[in-house]
Amino acid sequence: MIRFFLSRLALTIPTFVALTFLTFVAIRLVPGDPVEVRVGEHGISPERLAMFRHQLGLDQPVWRQFTDYGWGLLHGDFGTSLSTSGKVLTEFLTLFPATVELSACAMLFAIVLGIPMGVFAAVKRGTWADQALMGLSVTGYSMPIFWWGLLLIMLVAEQWHLTPVSGRIDLIRFDYDTPTGFMLIDSLLSDEPGAFLDALHHLVLPTIVLGTIPLAVVARMTRSSMLEVLSEDYVRTARAKGLSPFRVVGVHALRNALIPVTTVIGLMIGSLLAGAVLTETIFSWPGVGHYLIEAISRRDYPALQGGIMLVSTVVILVNLLVDVAYGVVNPRIRHGR
Amino acid sequence: MAAELSARADGPAARLPAAPAPPSAFRNFWSSFGEGKGAVLGLAIVAFVALLAIFAPLVAPHSPIEQFRDAVKAPPVWQDGGSWRYVLGTDGVGRDMLSRLIYGARVSLFIGLSVMCVSFVVGVVLGLASAYFGGVVDVLITRLMDRIMSVPDLVLAILAVAVLGPSLVNTIVAVTIVYVPRYVRLVRGSALAELDKDYVMAAKVAGVGPLRLMLSTILPNCLAPLIVQAALGLSDAILEAAALGFLGLGAQPPTPEWGAMLADSREFIRSQPWIVTFPGLAILITVVSINLLGDGLRDAFDPKMRRG
Repeated sequence: MIRFFLSRLALTIPTFVALTFLTFVAIRLVPGDPVEVRVGEHGISPERLAMFRHQLGLDQPVWRQFTDYGWGLLHGDFGTSLSTSGKVLTEFLTLFPATVELSACAMLFAIVLGIPMGVFAAVKRGTWADQALMGLSVTGYSMPIFWWGLLLIMLVAEQWHLTPVSGRIDLIRFDYDTPTGFMLIDSLLSDEPGAFLDALHHLVLPTIVLGTIPLAVVARMTRSSMLEVLSEDYVRTARAKGLSPFRVVGVHALRNALIPVTTVIGLMIGSLLAGAVLTETIFSWPGVGHYLIEAISRRDYPALQGGIMLVSTVVILVNLLVDVAYGVVNPRIRHGR
Repeated sequence: MAAELSARADGPAARLPAAPAPPSAFRNFWSSFGEGKGAVLGLAIVAFVALLAIFAPLVAPHSPIEQFRDAVKAPPVWQDGGSWRYVLGTDGVGRDMLSRLIYGARVSLFIGLSVMCVSFVVGVVLGLASAYFGGVVDVLITRLMDRIMSVPDLVLAILAVAVLGPSLVNTIVAVTIVYVPRYVRLVRGSALAELDKDYVMAAKVAGVGPLRLMLSTILPNCLAPLIVQAALGLSDAILEAAALGFLGLGAQPPTPEWGAMLADSREFIRSQPWIVTFPGLAILITVVSINLLGDGLRDAFDPKMRRG
C-alpha cells in the first residue's frame, strides 16, 4: 500500500517540474520589459534599470533564474504580488477557503440532486419524465455558466429579491473574526445571531451556478450506469426473490451503479476550479478564481504566475488523492502493472 | 431527406427480391441517427445557425458595429417603446442586437471550427506518431499531454491569453492548446488497438510503407470516435471561447462575439434585461444543439448503444 502511494507520489514530480517550467517560460514571454512592468516606470535611467535588474535577479543567466525560481517554490516562495506587495502564498491561503466552501457546496448540490434524478430517469426509462430529465441534463451540460449566473442575479436577486446579489456575507450587518476562513463555520462560531443564515443565503446562487454542469454530468452518468446495472443477473435474482422494487433499485443496483459515478465526481474537481473562476467573477466571491482574474486585469504577473502554480498544485494533489483512494478501494488497481 | 434516400435505395432491391442489397454503411448510419429525435433537432438547429453565419450580411438588418445614437438601449419589439427597426432591441451604445447576434454566430462558429480542425490535425499526427513509433516518442508525447491536462482548462487558457495578449486569433490558439490532448489520447488509444489486428499485420507483410499504413490503413478505422469527439469538442470550444470573451480575454470590442457581448452587460441587469438575455441564449441554443448532434452521432456509431 505504502509502495503504491509512493509510486503515485513520485509520478507527480515530473508534473511539477514541467508545470514550473511552463509558468516560468509563459511569464517571460509576456510582451514588455519585465522591469518596466514591475517597476512601473517608463524611460528610467540606465543606472536605476541595472539596479532593479540586479534586485530582481534578471541579470543572471536564464537557467540560473529558473533554478532560483524552482528553489523558491520548494521553500514556499510563490512570488510577491506587485499590486499589494504581499506574498502570493499568503494571499492565496486567505482566499482559498472561500473557493473550497463554494466548490464543496456546488458538489454537494450536484450529488444530492443528480443521483436521485439519474436513478429516477433510469427506472422510468423511455417515458416523458426520462426524456424531460435528460433534456434538462443536456441543457445544464451546455450552460454558459457566466450567463446563467447573470440571469439568476437578474431574476432571483434583483427582481424577486430572494437572495443577495454578491459577496459571502452582509459586511455591514455582521463583523466577526474568521479563524477558519469558511464562512459557514465562522458564522456558527461567532455569537452573531442570523449570521449563519445570512452566509447560507449568500451561497445559494453561486452554488446553483457552479453546480449546474456537475449536476448534469452526475445525473447523466448515474442514469447510464444504472441502466447497465439494472440488466444484470443479480438484479433479476433480487427481483425474483421478491424484494421490494425500492430495495432492488435503491440498495442492490444503486451500490454498484455508483462506482463509475464516483470516478466521474473525482475527475470533475479540476473543472470545478475552472468553473469557480467564472462563478467568483460574477458574484464578486473573494476566492482564488477572483484573485487570478484580478491579477490579469492589474497586469500583476507574479501574482498570476504564483496563483496558477498553486491552483494547479491543488488539482494535481486532489487527483493524486483520488487515484490513491481508488487503490485503497479496489486492489486490482493497486496491483495492476 | 431520409425518406428520399431510402426510396432510392429500395428501388432496385424491390425489383430483385432474390438478392436484397445489404444497406449501405451510410444508410445504416443515417437510420440509427434518425432514431434519436434530439439528434435530428440538433442537426436542424446547427444547420440553421450555420446558414445564418454564412449569409450574415444578407440576413442581418443592420451592420453589427454601427451605433445608432438615436436609439441607444431600445427595447425589443414586443415591449413598450420597441420598434420593428430593432427587433431584439439595441445595446448600450445603440448597436442592433439581432445583427450582432447573427454576426456573432460567424465569430463563434469560426472559433469553434478552427479549434476543431487544428486540434483534429495535430491530434491525428501526434496520436498516430505516438502509437506507431512507441518508445521515447510515445513517452514524450503522452507525458506532455498529461501535463497539459493537469492544469484546469480555463486556467490554462487564461495563462495562454495572458501571455499572447487578448485577441480572436489568440483565443483560438489558447483553446486549441487546451483541447489538443483529448484528440491525441483518443487517436493514440484507438490506433494502438488497431495496430495489433491481423489486417494491419497483413498490410505490413504486403510491404505497405509507414505513412500509408498510418493514414490509409489505420486512421479510417479510428475515425468514428474521433468524429464524435470533434462534434462534442466543437461545443466545448465555443463555450470556452465565450467564457474568455466574457472575462474580456477573448475577441475584443467591437467584434460581435457572444461572450464578449455579455462582458459589460452587468450594468443593464436592472433596466435593460434584453441586453443580458439574448447573447447567452444564443450560446446556449447553439451549444445544446451541437451536443444533441454529437450524442446522436455517438449513438449511431456505437453498435453497443444501438437499440440498447
